[in-house]
Amino acid sequence: MKSRGCVDMKKRNAKKKKDVIAVRKSCKAKGTGLSHYVMTEPRKK
Amino acid sequence: MKSRPTRAALLQPRRGGPSESNRGLYFNTGNGPTLQPVDIGHRDYVGLVDPDTAFWSLIRKDKLGSALTDGPLLLAYRRRAAVFAKEMETLRFGLRPSAVYFNPTDRCNLNCTYCYIPATMRRGGIHMSRERLIGALAILKDYFATTLPRGTKPQIIFHGAEPLLNHEAVFAGIDQFRKYFRFGIQTNGTLLDDDAIEFLTSRGVSIGLSLDAEVEAIARRTRKTWGGGGIYHKVVRALERLRGYPDYSVICTVTRENVRRLTRIVDFFHGLEIPTCMLNPLRCTREGARGIKPGDREMSRYYLQALDRTNELYRRTGRKLVVANFANTLIGILAPQARRLMCDISPCGGGRSFFAVSARGDMFPCSEFIGLEKFMGGNLFRDGIADVLESAAFRRVTERKVEDIDPCCRCAVRHFCGAPCPAEAHEMNGGMRRIGAFCELYEDHIRYALRLIADGREDAFLWDDWDADTTTSFKWE
Repeated sequence: MKSRGCVDMKKRNAKKKKDVIAVRKSCKAKGTGLSHYVMTEPRKK
Repeated sequence: MKSRPTRAALLQPRRGGPSESNRGLYFNTGNGPTLQPVDIGHRDYVGLVDPDTAFWSLIRKDKLGSALTDGPLLLAYRRRAAVFAKEMETLRFGLRPSAVYFNPTDRCNLNCTYCYIPATMRRGGIHMSRERLIGALAILKDYFATTLPRGTKPQIIFHGAEPLLNHEAVFAGIDQFRKYFRFGIQTNGTLLDDDAIEFLTSRGVSIGLSLDAEVEAIARRTRKTWGGGGIYHKVVRALERLRGYPDYSVICTVTRENVRRLTRIVDFFHGLEIPTCMLNPLRCTREGARGIKPGDREMSRYYLQALDRTNELYRRTGRKLVVANFANTLIGILAPQARRLMCDISPCGGGRSFFAVSARGDMFPCSEFIGLEKFMGGNLFRDGIADVLESAAFRRVTERKVEDIDPCCRCAVRHFCGAPCPAEAHEMNGGMRRIGAFCELYEDHIRYALRLIADGREDAFLWDDWDADTTTSFKWE
C-alpha cells in the first residue's frame, strides 16, 4: 500500500501549473466573417 | 522519425532574403521576434505576445526570464513565425467578400435610440421592389460565381431598418436563390409571426433578433416604436416560438440603460434556451447613441460578470449560452483565421470580407455606414462590384489599419482587438486614424480570454466543434 505522503505528492504534481502554455490553431481563412450578425455553421454529421 | 533542425541550423542566415546581415537571433532587437509582456491579471501567468503575428504564450511569472533568454520556446516560435506572419497577412489583406448585408427597405417600424440609419430614411425611405430585389440577388450571384471557390455559398443577411416590412420581396428572393446563398435575417421581431417563422425555419434561414433587457421597462428605453411604445412581449413570444431551432441568435446592445443588468439578461436568455447571443457594445457612430454610452470601466465590470455567469450556467445545466462577440475574441486568439466576425481584426471586414447594399442599391463597406453618403462606393445596379470595392469611399475603410493608429501601433493586442470601428472612429472621434469608443473594454476582454486559457476554461465559452476545421500548428504545454 502506498503511503499517504506519496499519494499527496502525486496529487501535487498533477496540479502543478505548466511553465508555458502556447497554442495556435490554423485553418484556411475563408472570409466567413460578418460584423454584427453571427451565422451558426450547419452541424457536421 | 523526422529529426528536428538544430539550433545552429535554425540560426543560419536566411538565403536571398533581405535579412542576411541580421539573423534575428535575439528577441526585441534586429530581426528577432518582437515579444511584449502583457499583464493579464492572473495570479501565476503573464502573457507574452508578438503583436505582428498574433503569437501568444502564457509564461509562469517566475519563468519569464528563462523563457526569453535560453528558450526552446523562442526557437520553436522562430520556426513558425514566418508561417504565422503569412496567416495574418492573408487574413488582413488577402480575403475576398463572401457576405452581404442587404437592406430590402429603408423603413423601420421602430425608432431605437442608437440606430445608425437616419430617421428620415427609416420613416420615409423606399422599399426595394420584388423585381429589383430578385435582380440584385442575380447580380450578386453572378459576381460571387467569379470570385469564390466552387461550392462556397456566400451569405446574404437581410438587415435593416426592418426587413420584414418588405417580407414578400424577401421571401421571394429566398425561395428563388436558396440554392446559391446561405440566407440570414436580422429582425426586430415585431413582424415575426407564425407564418414568417414557418417560412424561415423550414428553409433553414438563420434568424437574428434584438432584445436589450429581461424586463419590458428597461427594454423599451432603447428599442421602441415611433410613439415610444415597447415591443418586449412580441420579441419574447417570437423567441419562445424559436426554441429548439438551431440557427437563431439574439443581439443585446449594451448601453448605459442596461449595462448593470447584463447578468440578469444572460440568465433570461439562458432560461429561454437561446443558443447564441451577442452582447454588442453600443456603436457610437450616431450622436443619438452617444447619449447612452456607458463608461469603459463600468462596461468592463458588468460585461465580465455576465461572462462569468454564462460559465456558471453552463456548469450547472450543461447547456451553453455562447456570447458570440466574446467567443470571437477567444477564437481570434486561439486560431486567428477561424474568426467568424470581422470587427476585431484590422482592417475590419467592412468592404473586404463583406459589404452592404441599401434599398436603392447603393453600396457601403458596412451597414454601419448607410446614411453616410461619403462612404457610398457606388450602386449595385449601375456599377461593377469589383470597381466599387476599389472605390475611394471603400478604400478609406479597407485601408484603415492599426499600424496607423495611436496607441494601437504600440499595443501588444492590436490583432486581437482590431481597433473597431471605423465608422465610429470617424464620426465620434474625428477620423479614420482614431480609436473607436471602447478601447479599455477590449483590453479587458482579451485579458479575460487569456486568463481563461491559462486556467484551461476556454471551451465553456465557445461553440462546440468550433475548431473542427482547424489543425494545431503550435502547441507548447
